[in-house]
Amino acid sequence: MKTDKTMVLASLLCKTYQIGDIKIEALIDVNFKVRKGEFTVIRGPSGSGKTTLLNIISSIDKPTSGKIVVFGNELTTKDENFLAGFRCNKIGFVFQSYNLVSTLTVAENIAFPMEWLRKSENHIKKQIEALLEIVGLQHRADHFPSQLSGGEQQRVAFARALANDPPLLLVDEPTGNLDTKTSLKIIQILQKLKEDGKTIIVATHDEQIISLADQKLYLEGGKLVNLDE
Amino acid sequence: MSETFFPINDLLRRKFQTSLIIISLTLCVASTLFLLLFGSKIGFGISLIVEGKLTPGFSAVFSRFMMFIGILVFIVGGVIVSFMAFVTTAQRVKDIGLMKAAGCPNDSIFGYFMTERLIVIFFSCFLGNILGILADFASTSVFNSFGLQIPQVSVNFWLVLLVFVLFFVFTLIFGAKPILDTTRIEPAKAISPTYYLGLGKEPGFRAISKSNFTIKMALRSLFRRKSVTIRIVLCLITVFVLLTTSVAGGIIAYQTTKNWIEKAVGRDMLLIGHQEMCNQYKLLLSRFYEEKESPLFNYTDEKYLISEELVTQLELISGVDIDTRLVIETHIREIPGYVVDPDTGDATRVGWNREGVSIIVGIDPAKALNEWFLDGEFLGSQEWTAVIGDTVAQKMFEVPLNQGILLFNGNFGIIGVCLDPLNNGNVTYVPMKTLQKAASISKPNIVMAKINSLVNRADALNQIRATVSAVNSEFEVFELNTILDKSLGFLSYIWSTIMFLPLFSLVAASLCLVSYVMLTIAEQRQELGVLRAIGAKPITVLKIISAQSFIVLLLCYAAGIILGIILTLLILIPEPFVTGYTVVEIVQWLSIALATMFLFSLYPAVKFAKKPITEIITQT
Repeated sequence: MKTDKTMVLASLLCKTYQIGDIKIEALIDVNFKVRKGEFTVIRGPSGSGKTTLLNIISSIDKPTSGKIVVFGNELTTKDENFLAGFRCNKIGFVFQSYNLVSTLTVAENIAFPMEWLRKSENHIKKQIEALLEIVGLQHRADHFPSQLSGGEQQRVAFARALANDPPLLLVDEPTGNLDTKTSLKIIQILQKLKEDGKTIIVATHDEQIISLADQKLYLEGGKLVNLDE
Repeated sequence: MSETFFPINDLLRRKFQTSLIIISLTLCVASTLFLLLFGSKIGFGISLIVEGKLTPGFSAVFSRFMMFIGILVFIVGGVIVSFMAFVTTAQRVKDIGLMKAAGCPNDSIFGYFMTERLIVIFFSCFLGNILGILADFASTSVFNSFGLQIPQVSVNFWLVLLVFVLFFVFTLIFGAKPILDTTRIEPAKAISPTYYLGLGKEPGFRAISKSNFTIKMALRSLFRRKSVTIRIVLCLITVFVLLTTSVAGGIIAYQTTKNWIEKAVGRDMLLIGHQEMCNQYKLLLSRFYEEKESPLFNYTDEKYLISEELVTQLELISGVDIDTRLVIETHIREIPGYVVDPDTGDATRVGWNREGVSIIVGIDPAKALNEWFLDGEFLGSQEWTAVIGDTVAQKMFEVPLNQGILLFNGNFGIIGVCLDPLNNGNVTYVPMKTLQKAASISKPNIVMAKINSLVNRADALNQIRATVSAVNSEFEVFELNTILDKSLGFLSYIWSTIMFLPLFSLVAASLCLVSYVMLTIAEQRQELGVLRAIGAKPITVLKIISAQSFIVLLLCYAAGIILGIILTLLILIPEPFVTGYTVVEIVQWLSIALATMFLFSLYPAVKFAKKPITEIITQT
């Protein structure tokens, strides 16, 4: 459910990478805001800065200049311990390449963000069951990531991202590595989360996901482009 | 891409890894060369080098120890070299796979990586030799400044060359095999971590699913990375055996040999006699730790003999035990004996008629105030029996306990061989009365006295001094603790040297652990980066990595200590002397080593935990 409350506010965001003598400008003066409950899609060609923008919103990366305010926190001024807690409590991140911990089972992969917040064993158990039901993987709880298909791993990654019920979900190319049939399951999960009022930002090329969007951002060469213009 | 420039560029780009390998190999070569050079001065040939300084019994303990530690240092060197070769190849297998996948011929790949290996090995062996020579020079100088007379001889360059060639060849063989194996496998396999890190598809370890997240992840990662974990475990166990043998063994051996000397000289023992006789006796005792020329001395001079009156008066002092002795220097001769074969019953003659000069001590066995570490038994009621020092036994006898000794035309049956610092083991103990009869001397020439703990020592000492000076003003009372402490100090120096030898190996092993941690990080880089990205604090990542190295270290520590103690107690030291304090000292030293190694291994983990998350996730 959308409200006017601003969850993410980016102003004049710049990110420059220096590789030897070469400077690569990944983001140039990016301004936007995301309101509570809004489903935002970031589009753009490869290398346009979509992942960099998601990384900065999630506090995984810091901008070279500009401001990024998430839930009222100016992230560039915070230390690493604060940011770790912030990511654990407020952000759910689904990576393009799943990134599950290979030595942990599906259930354990979903459990550990909750363990960091010292949630009770009972709560963790119930939450795992609920999340596995949402992603349709109850029968895979005790399997290791290497025993799952790409689509299943992506669904576990969604479940892990939702473990602490974060108010903001960031998703990077969720269907980029999946076939059409498997992609559909992921889209269904996103749709369900949107209906539940979760604030979601997705970097994607997938037209079906784009069709769910309340706000569409288009990045090209690190700049936000207004497609209407 | 040239076969010369690729390896050089590759090595320069991977500065930390290259330095780590060079330092580890350098330390292995240096420790081996140092051991050989320094050991040849104080160690392997110790019985020859310190002949006339240490008794053969003590020398045997040192030599056995040095030999054992020498072998262990060689083994540790080999294990470390093979581990480093494996780790360096494991780190590059993916690159080799990618090069193969891109169409690079096998022989070119082998050429690139072998050239790289050759450069590293050559530098390591060269630097190791220089460091070994410098360490030998520095150690000799340091120990000489402490009063030990270790010869600063010119370096044996054949030995240096031998160490260089041996390590160069071995490392090349150890290093070439994994590269050769890797160039032969299919590219798809080579770029899979399942192959190059020895990973199974599953950790296969679920027993502790309820345990703490950090431990769970650490243990499962260890079990998954079986091949490399097994190698580091073997490497560290060998190192801890070496460490335990040198530290625990060194401490136990020092305590044991110290105990032998303390018993033989006696703690808080008083020497009473004529000033000149006392000085001569002190000189005989000091021969254990320093070579001193002894002028001709007439032990049987009338003025040295102690009157019955003085002995009686000393015996009357309450709380003082008296042990009178007659010390003489005379010719001795070996008397052959027979050894009977228990199976056939045949008797074989042993020994010749070797002759020499020995200090003979007549002692009343019932009143002897000190004890000796013995092979056989000490004197008893039998008159014509003798206990000989280990130097006499080694120099003049074949099977001493089956032979006899001739002195003053009397044939004494040898019933024991003792370790005694007096005259550096060139001593023979016989019953006092028998010696008096044989030498026709009716009085003792020294008295050993000991004040028991029930009386005030200062009062008793004053009373003894007063009694002695009242009878003869030329007689003195001397406390033997000074001489005893010098002997013990000498032993302490030598054992410290031995315990110092494996230091290089320990540092090299610590570097291996660092390499292992780096490999752990390389393998888990992506996962640990993701953990950070979803909310793990840097300290959590540090805990996961350090838990893995701590588990490995603790496992190897326990196994190494057990094996090391068994080797030390069962093989290296006869009748070890272990007190509660010894155990505390050993635990303290080994714990320091464990803690140091652990802290050392944390360096790459701390460095990694501090990295920005994007750098961790994107770097391959």
